[in-house]
Amino acid sequence: MRRPWTTILVGLALALTGCAGLSPEKQAERNRQLDDYRAGLRALRGGDFVTARQRLDNATLTLGGLTVGDKTAKEARNYFKEESRKNFRGEPYERAMAFYYRGILYWMDGESDNARACFRSAAVQDMAPEIGVTEADWTLLDYLDGLVTVKLRGDGKDQLQRARKESRINPPPDYDAQANVLVFHECGTGPAKYATGEYGEQLRFRAGSAPGSLLQLAVNGQTNKFGPYDDLTYQATTRGGRVMDHVLAGKAVFKSSTDAFGDAAVISGAILAAGGQGSRGAADEVGFGLLAAGLISKVISAATTPAADTRAWDNLPNFLGFAALRLPPGSHSLQVQFQNQQGQPLTTRTLDFQVQTGRDTVLFVSDRNQ
Amino acid sequence: MNDLRPLSLLSLAAAAALFGTGCASGVKNPSGVPVTVMKPDEQGFVAGTGIESQDLVAVTDKMARSVLNTAEIKNFAGGPPRVALLPVNNETRFAINKDIFLTRIRVQLNSKANGQVRFLAREALADLEKERQMKREGSLNSTTNPNVQEFKGADFFLTGKLSGLTTKTKAGTSDYILYSFQLIDARSSDILWEDSAEVKKQGLEDAAYR
Repeated sequence: MRRPWTTILVGLALALTGCAGLSPEKQAERNRQLDDYRAGLRALRGGDFVTARQRLDNATLTLGGLTVGDKTAKEARNYFKEESRKNFRGEPYERAMAFYYRGILYWMDGESDNARACFRSAAVQDMAPEIGVTEADWTLLDYLDGLVTVKLRGDGKDQLQRARKESRINPPPDYDAQANVLVFHECGTGPAKYATGEYGEQLRFRAGSAPGSLLQLAVNGQTNKFGPYDDLTYQATTRGGRVMDHVLAGKAVFKSSTDAFGDAAVISGAILAAGGQGSRGAADEVGFGLLAAGLISKVISAATTPAADTRAWDNLPNFLGFAALRLPPGSHSLQVQFQNQQGQPLTTRTLDFQVQTGRDTVLFVSDRNQ
Repeated sequence: MNDLRPLSLLSLAAAAALFGTGCASGVKNPSGVPVTVMKPDEQGFVAGTGIESQDLVAVTDKMARSVLNTAEIKNFAGGPPRVALLPVNNETRFAINKDIFLTRIRVQLNSKANGQVRFLAREALADLEKERQMKREGSLNSTTNPNVQEFKGADFFLTGKLSGLTTKTKAGTSDYILYSFQLIDARSSDILWEDSAEVKKQGLEDAAYR
């Protein structure tokens, strides 16, 4: 009876482990959203707004569709397939950032109501009622929502109040509806994902960093300093977990239980079989049966994949800020300086731009601008 | 040993079957999905809780029918009234091409209202002025006197607003959108006609993304 068992075991191992990986092409297809995120932001920083719009449109339109029936998501929940097989959409802070950047681009194009729509969608990404998060807690998203509303002759008081309540770094100022130059700034390196736990089933975030979190803007004879309003490390680390974490925890328990059962069965089976000394008696048969069951359980355990998905939008900043200025129409030169907390300059660059009458001029400044 | 061979072969076959079927889920729709032609007023298989073509069609059809029944349009003295479009204000959480709503209402009215209303091509005004100027300067010939002012002013403005309300609970995300449109008298600022349509959608993301 030993040969068929061996064959079954080998077959089972092949069946379970053979499905573990995806072809590089297939995986690349499932990472497409991640590529759009990264490329969209690279293009925005490089001033290639056409590409940025295109890539971020791809990303936000995908996020707009529900994932019901997404077979890759079903695979990710399967005990024998990794979470990273699912189509990448990102964690809430990553999804929110895609809408945030698209909102900036809409505002650049003079479509401030569509920009506000993006900021509102970004806030919705941050809500997770399943784990008790019923409200978004980004300062800038509410602040910008209110600013657009005020500029469109609405009432932005509620949004400003919420933005101030949510602020942890710097409280945002009163709205200036007459401000016509809007500077979105960001700096540092955003949070990084890693997996921990016995089987890497727990998704964790390493804090991002930003040595130059102060922004000094000098234009038209005026110099002002601005601090950031939102911290992506805070957004990534304080949300309190995911529904998927429970799925992965279940996978980890299954992996460890089948492994423990396998160990116990293999040892007991070996002892029984050795005791029978090949006599083909009942103890011998039970011993081999247990041994085989133990090995099958070990194979199943080895094939279980509870590892958390650590694919990440890795060119995000750590801090986000915003400044609103009033400037007369015409050509201007803005000196942008990122400084550390002691006020020492770290990066300096100059932006030349035109202020037009009757519309906002929107500038995007990153310490990683190309 | 010989009597075990069939069992061995059976086991091997079972293992091979397991191997084969176990991996089948790695490739979905290997031959692709053929193009599905859908009517714009039916929900496709790619759906979210946002603004989609079936909403656009339903809303604009309703608005076009409704605006034509306005007494001020029906009984307008001195030929068909001239209507100019004002931008739609989007207050929802969905970024959209806002012009598409008014464009479809205009197309519906132009194609089905038998000339009861006329729309002014304000978005082409800069080009029209340039053309007229070239005619006035003699760079282009003209069948009519280009010095006569013939650009018409608007009798009415048609505009709209999209308002939204989002709820997110354990049961999923729900989005309610109110599409409201107005016809405004250009002379008096009276709102002569107003109508609305509502759409509510809800859904829940797969647990893998929550």
